[in-house]
Amino acid sequence: MYDLLLILGLIALGYFSGTWVEKRHYRSIIQRETELLPLPAVTFKTMDYAPETIAGSRMVTGSAVISIDYFKRFLASLRNIFGGTVKSYESLLDRARREALLRMKAEARDADIILNVRIETASIGRTAHRRSVGCLEAVAYGTAVRLKKTSAAP
Amino acid sequence: MKYIPRRPKTNVNVTPASPLRELLILTGGLAAITVGVYLLLGLVVDWVAPRLSGDLERKLGVVFTRTLDIAPDSSQNRKWAQGLADRIQARCVNLPYQFKIHINPSKKVNALAFPGGNIVVCQGLLDQVASENELAFVLCHEMGHYAHQDHLRGLGRTMILMAMATLIFGQDSGVADFLIQSIGLAELNFSRQQETEADEFGLQTLHCFYGHVGGSTDFFAKISADHNPGRWGHYFSTHPANERRIARLKSLARELGYDVAPVKTLPAFLNVQQ
Amino acid sequence: MIITNVETVPGKKIVAHFGLVSGNTIRAKHVGRDLMASLKNLVGGELKAYTQLLSESRRQAVERMTAQAQQLGANAIVNVRFSTSSVAQGAAELYAYGTAVRVE
Repeated sequence: MYDLLLILGLIALGYFSGTWVEKRHYRSIIQRETELLPLPAVTFKTMDYAPETIAGSRMVTGSAVISIDYFKRFLASLRNIFGGTVKSYESLLDRARREALLRMKAEARDADIILNVRIETASIGRTAHRRSVGCLEAVAYGTAVRLKKTSAAP
Repeated sequence: MKYIPRRPKTNVNVTPASPLRELLILTGGLAAITVGVYLLLGLVVDWVAPRLSGDLERKLGVVFTRTLDIAPDSSQNRKWAQGLADRIQARCVNLPYQFKIHINPSKKVNALAFPGGNIVVCQGLLDQVASENELAFVLCHEMGHYAHQDHLRGLGRTMILMAMATLIFGQDSGVADFLIQSIGLAELNFSRQQETEADEFGLQTLHCFYGHVGGSTDFFAKISADHNPGRWGHYFSTHPANERRIARLKSLARELGYDVAPVKTLPAFLNVQQ
Repeated sequence: MIITNVETVPGKKIVAHFGLVSGNTIRAKHVGRDLMASLKNLVGGELKAYTQLLSESRRQAVERMTAQAQQLGANAIVNVRFSTSSVAQGAAELYAYGTAVRVE
């Protein structure tokens, strides 16, 4: 009986705290994205820059580890029975990746563009033991290119 | 190429659904399926149980007696109880089983029927009975369970449900544990209905064997409220239930025209403790 | 919406780009498919149900990425990459990302 109450308590805790944390995180993400919007991040490797305009380049990375709360995990296991989109995990993955991208962009504030951006995701934590709650890691990396400050635009 | 900075209007990667609603729908669906399967199982087991071959049941019985903790066959208590059961069976009970009585040394006041014609009586129960008639009533009650094949039904449903839950959700899934706890599959339970019917059978058999039903209700009257139901089922669950049982037995005896007469005492070697 | 996984759209000129766009999907299989898959594990052969599940996921991820690009006003997505990870037991997660561009 107590085990059942414990599970229900964890689920309720997961729901309330998870929802609050998520809302807060999204607000922060949207605010920073708007702020960093002038810095483009693209997946292609080459841009039509003349070699003399390039001041420097370096690799930049950003990563974020977001944990999965019990409520989302419970919903996912229920969803496993019936099939379909696991809606509870979508926001989790979205937040993790956007956060990683933002951190990468923040590291390259002085750059003009970030080329060849790649995003990798991994599930870490004790994923073998189903009972425990795992975490999600998202890594974004790319090459930040700085252009010489001239009056002409690229 | 130039860069046009724009923000997308909506977030395409997240479905705007309320998680609570999803939880309600999914758990509702799961509950409906579980209830449906349970009911279906009940029907299936009810259909299978009478058709189970005697041979298979004997094999099940062997498995059970191997795992139970029982006193050696040679103990005097067991021999005497077996003798009593054999005499009852020879004279009054017409069932296709050869009943074997086993004594469990536990101090719990309990007795239960297992597949294969095995009846297990705990030492605690033997200590409590004050007359031969009381013990005979307990044995007849267990034989009554056999007559209605209760042991197979209770067992079958429980085990099949446990197996299904483990199969669908996997061993470590939280959902399986959640379900098992809410259905309460840990104990073998005979329903009230089954207990009442076994009581009736016991009463009729007792009358057949002794010619009267003295001693049938003495036993329940002695059991006080603080007796632990024990792991094996709720033979003596709550005090009010016992009172209802006594009342039921008395009214049934009146209906069938049975009368009460002095009871037979127990042999000395049973060390009766009052 | 033109989608390529090379740097350009062959034969066309890119005039502007809008940055990164991405589409994400996570789908779970139901117990029926799970049971069939376990049985298939014994005999071998293609697990058609899983193939279908994964291609559905891929289609939906690309669809979402396209929708996001359309919201920005692009008409092509170049240099698309797929990435996958296992975040939930028994669920297939797929992430598609690329650069939204306007071509002429």
